[in-house]
Amino acid sequence: MEDMMKDRIEQLVDYIMKKCLWQFHSRSWDREKQNEGILTKTMQLLCDEPVDLGTPTDKVYWVDAVCLADAFKSRYSWLATMDKAEIKLLMRGLKDRMDYLTITGSLNAELTDPHY
Amino acid sequence: MPYHEFECSKCIPERKKHAVIKGPGEDLTSALPLGYLNTIPGSISERGCAYCGAKHVIGTPMKDVIHMSHGPVGCTYDTWQTKRYISDNDNFQLKYTYATDMKEKHIIFGAEKLLKQNIIEAFKAFPDNKRMTLYQTCASALIGDDINAVAQEVMEEMPEVDIFVCNSPGFGGPSQSGGHHKINIAWINQKVGNVEPQITSDYVINYVGEYNIQGDQEVMQDYFKRMGIQVLSTFTGNGSYDDLRSMHRAHLNVLECARSAEYICNELRVRYGTPRLDIDGFGFEPLSASLRKVGLFFGIEDRAQAIIDEETARWKPELDWYKERLKGKKVCLWPGGSKLWHWAHAIHEEMGVEVVSVYSKFGHQGDFEKGIARCEEGALAIDDPNELEGLEAMEMLKPDIIFTGKRPGEVAKKIRVPYLNAHAYHNGPWKGYEGWVRFARDIYNAIYSPLHQLAFVDISKDEIPTNAGFVTQKMLSDVNLSEEITSSDSLREYTGKYDIISQLRGKTYPQFPPAPQQLAVV
Repeated sequence: MEDMMKDRIEQLVDYIMKKCLWQFHSRSWDREKQNEGILTKTMQLLCDEPVDLGTPTDKVYWVDAVCLADAFKSRYSWLATMDKAEIKLLMRGLKDRMDYLTITGSLNAELTDPHY
Repeated sequence: MPYHEFECSKCIPERKKHAVIKGPGEDLTSALPLGYLNTIPGSISERGCAYCGAKHVIGTPMKDVIHMSHGPVGCTYDTWQTKRYISDNDNFQLKYTYATDMKEKHIIFGAEKLLKQNIIEAFKAFPDNKRMTLYQTCASALIGDDINAVAQEVMEEMPEVDIFVCNSPGFGGPSQSGGHHKINIAWINQKVGNVEPQITSDYVINYVGEYNIQGDQEVMQDYFKRMGIQVLSTFTGNGSYDDLRSMHRAHLNVLECARSAEYICNELRVRYGTPRLDIDGFGFEPLSASLRKVGLFFGIEDRAQAIIDEETARWKPELDWYKERLKGKKVCLWPGGSKLWHWAHAIHEEMGVEVVSVYSKFGHQGDFEKGIARCEEGALAIDDPNELEGLEAMEMLKPDIIFTGKRPGEVAKKIRVPYLNAHAYHNGPWKGYEGWVRFARDIYNAIYSPLHQLAFVDISKDEIPTNAGFVTQKMLSDVNLSEEITSSDSLREYTGKYDIISQLRGKTYPQFPPAPQQLAVV
């Protein structure tokens, strides 16, 4: 079960790494916000929960989240077999993995540079 | 860490950390070269300087501006005239170049008087032009000329003119990327917020990080206008000085070329709350996703979808004709800049070519993260390669073609690797749906050129065949294709015109009703 979840997370990671750009903002703090904002909204869309569009920033996160949720649903048929609790678990795992690959485990030495 | 050591660089062991091969199962926590560091002493670099990054990459595509370099005339000439940042005002910025022509005596006695004289002379020589960008060079920076004070003095004497000062001398960073940073921040500090624009749409964007190579910007602007979006400014290809002073009024910054322009987007986000949306303009799928995202942001997704459907139906059969003939060809993707990641996945997926290597001369590690993430396993990523490393890589990888700048491109031709100019293009624009087909056509023409076949004949020892007739490109490309593909009714070669940009100028666009109220929660 754990292996299947891990495999599914890697499939989602592979899609994001190849097709998206939002995960690679140039500083750690920015990547943290991007990963949190977009992946949270993606999870809400996949679970049919309301999504806050209150600020322009919420809106750009939502835009990327809509595209991501649509791509996930159309490419990974196993998603339709999961209930909301499982999807939340999956998306939490995805967020942790993305944080590791782009922030905590990243070899990019500029991520914590106080200047641009 | 799967570092790759070049034989030719074994005497410079530090270079080993500047190249990696992406191995099986490896990700960005194990495969990432160093980047954007000072060039290692003893290692030749092909990088540009910070002045080049500020002026020639970012500043000069601004179209209605006198771009004055305060320094020796050579600084102005170098690297220009090879870029094809065209503009719709008769290419004013490509026709003229200006320098104060500093000499030895100015280094000794100072050149501020010379600078003021030149600024006034340039404005008088071009009376219709009231805008100027003033670039510091190494020579004038080292002697401490106060170009800000001179610019201020001229603006007080000539109130109708406006001057932007860019302090980015050649030594201002490890590479041209340092110049990108400096001009971005200088522009937002000095000029943004100084002009109030006329807003003509409910949907207003800045299109940032687009330099209008052979008309790329005009292709994208056409899509935005067809969606009813006002492009307030383009940073900086085909961009107007005063439009760029009003960037603070846009609702959204659409960013294409991080990292040369993300600085200004980030500052606009902090100072004015304008959100930043990163897009890809190359490739059918990435471009479609980009138009859809901009449409979604404004609630006009249907307008984006109409363009996507129309353009895809028109051009996909032509892209697929080339894809059938390019499948499996190996490419060294060495553009030096953002095309490292814009193209890495898109050309693999949509044209079938294998990206065997990527490089950047001035890219940050963030640039490599994007490029490596999008490459397949086995790709060699190199930061700031010198000529010998480039040659060694090509001899090892044996690419069918290389996409790069003219300097490494000419080197590649000498070892008989065809090259396409990734900076100034061959027959662009390459952006947009039709542009992507033009790119595929240029790749096809380069790989299957009958002329190129002759390059493999060594006239110093090989017999020159005289019994072979004329060979066409199709005879070379179609020889191993199935009958089903060669006689397909659904696939066809490029059918567009030679010039696809002129027709966009002066085109009329649809008027749309005002935007409905937006909901806060969906």
